Amino acid sequence: MSISAYMFSDKRLAGFNGVLARLAVPLAAVLAAFTIGLIAIIAMGVPLGDAVGAFMRGALGSPYAISASLNRAVALGLVGIGFIIAQRAGLTNVGGEGQIAVGGMIATALCLVPGMDELPAGLAFILPLLGGAVAGGLWAGIAGVLKVRAGTNEVISTLLLSFIATWLVYWSVQSENLLRQPMTNSATLPESLPIPAPTQVPLLTGSYASPVTWGLPITIVIAIFVAIMLGRSIFGFRLKATGLNPVAAARAGMPVNKLLVGALVFAGLLGGLAGALMLQGEQYSLKSGFSSGYGFDGLVVGLLARGSVTGVIAGALLFGFMRSGGISMEMAAGVPSALVGIMQGLIVVMIAGAAYYLDRSATR
Amino acid sequence: MTLELFMVFVASTIRLSAPLLLAASGEYVSERAGIVNMSLEGMMLMGAFGGAVATAFTGSPYLGLAGALVAVLPIALLQSVLTNTLRANQVVTGLGINILVLGLTTLGYREIFGSRSREMIAGFDPISPPILGDLPLVGTVFYQAGLLYFAILMVALIAFVVSRTGLGIMLKAAGDNPHVTAISGTPVMAIRHGAVFFTGAMAALGGAFLSIVDIHTFTEGMTRGAGYLAIVAVIFGNWRIGRVMGACLLFGAATALQFQLPAMGIQLPNALLIMLPYVLALLAVAGLVGRQTAPRALSVPFWR
Repeated sequence: MSISAYMFSDKRLAGFNGVLARLAVPLAAVLAAFTIGLIAIIAMGVPLGDAVGAFMRGALGSPYAISASLNRAVALGLVGIGFIIAQRAGLTNVGGEGQIAVGGMIATALCLVPGMDELPAGLAFILPLLGGAVAGGLWAGIAGVLKVRAGTNEVISTLLLSFIATWLVYWSVQSENLLRQPMTNSATLPESLPIPAPTQVPLLTGSYASPVTWGLPITIVIAIFVAIMLGRSIFGFRLKATGLNPVAAARAGMPVNKLLVGALVFAGLLGGLAGALMLQGEQYSLKSGFSSGYGFDGLVVGLLARGSVTGVIAGALLFGFMRSGGISMEMAAGVPSALVGIMQGLIVVMIAGAAYYLDRSATR
Repeated sequence: MTLELFMVFVASTIRLSAPLLLAASGEYVSERAGIVNMSLEGMMLMGAFGGAVATAFTGSPYLGLAGALVAVLPIALLQSVLTNTLRANQVVTGLGINILVLGLTTLGYREIFGSRSREMIAGFDPISPPILGDLPLVGTVFYQAGLLYFAILMVALIAFVVSRTGLGIMLKAAGDNPHVTAISGTPVMAIRHGAVFFTGAMAALGGAFLSIVDIHTFTEGMTRGAGYLAIVAVIFGNWRIGRVMGACLLFGAATALQFQLPAMGIQLPNALLIMLPYVLALLAVAGLVGRQTAPRALSVPFWR
């Protein structure tokens, strides 16, 4: 059995104590990280009120701030949900970054296809979204095929695929033959043309004062679907069986190899969709490094959730608001947003470190 | 390409692969003992930071190296306790530590240096070794930082210890079958802890190479994935020290070509060269470049 299956299998966390432990550790880790963050702010000599005020304003202070945080949470949530689907099959998908990159790049290419913006009935933005998702799925599928064909550890392959994807994006916006906008003078930035308005994901409110996109309801629907799929469907059951013991699952007649590839493809689909949404709902033109950090933050969100979709949503909201708050804190109160990175790192390290004791106490 | 230009290319290949070689030879030791240090990136960054800070305050790059080694200690301790004592997932803890270190060094650098962040620090000048440096034509290739020669010495030492000593046998046994090794009376836990600390020290020197030797300053997140590339070198080198060294040189050459090709008037997409090491490594782990033989208990926690 793989380590991640050992670490995260639900059986080990069953019962009342398990439920308590599931909640207690992430909450304690988040509280501890925030406490350390506050101490660091005091140590830096910034008035606590200023810093916290700026943080809250950036995260929740205006319709615009809330919208920006929610859009971030959508991307993180999709990657996180993908992470727990793969995790259910005993796989650790660390390739969210690359899946976002490929999804965003293919979505941009599709948006810029001549005639795409003239398609009726919303197809102009739906087709590129789907294309981005499929691209992310195929990208992650490479790791899945390598896993079942050559026994390649998916952690290594998804990580390598992430680097390759990141540089593919860089290449695509550096070369005029690919996606770079035509060079009119020496100051032309290495980025794609802005995508046409009809290919942009519509805003829920229709106003740029609160730019929440349709990505939010789409993600909520996906979250509900995945929660049911993992908990109630045959596919979900088979994924879990494969994750707990692939040999036994194969003996029981389950198509283990297809399930492993399928789980990674599913995770990649969601990562690719996240990238397409970031591009078509927020950034509107492809730049090198546009996926920066979202993949790894999404991985952390998936990890925090310990296998539950509800947990992913909570984590995605937390990190979405933390990122927005951190940026505002840097601009308004002079506290480097790197502090938020420190807090996130601490949360990961604490939760990972607690996993063994958590599992041991749950099985006693 | 003229011979002179080729020698410049060889010299810069060696210089660019030096930080990778330091970190990768450290990572090699950990992985032979069964531990994947995804935190190699963070360890390098901490070394680069510690080295730069210590050099800036003392004015001595030697004390800077000492600073790098001291700064990485808490990070190595964290990694070692998490993966060995607490048996946490090695990949997850590594990534967490990398996020943490990126935040710590960025914040620390701004707090310590603030506005004078562009200031240059003292560094090592390249040395020209006797005899080798005086050779015609190839002499320029040996005009390198002393730390590079230290790295080559360390590779030789590691190769000797791993293949020829009892310690090396215990190390490999701890990475292949820790339980049987423990039953035979070998202190597996101590070996695994020690391996992580050794990796930390080597990675810190690799990071210090970047800040003290190469660019004489610290910039935020300056390792830019060099730590991951060093891990990739160990995988591509199929967990054998000689091939790991070859992989580092190959990756260094790919980087050197990025600067060399435009000078020679050859237009090749930059991204292709940057991507090359990762693509090669992916082909290697896919089993397309020879058979991969990882230590059998790699990334598997040990307990009695």
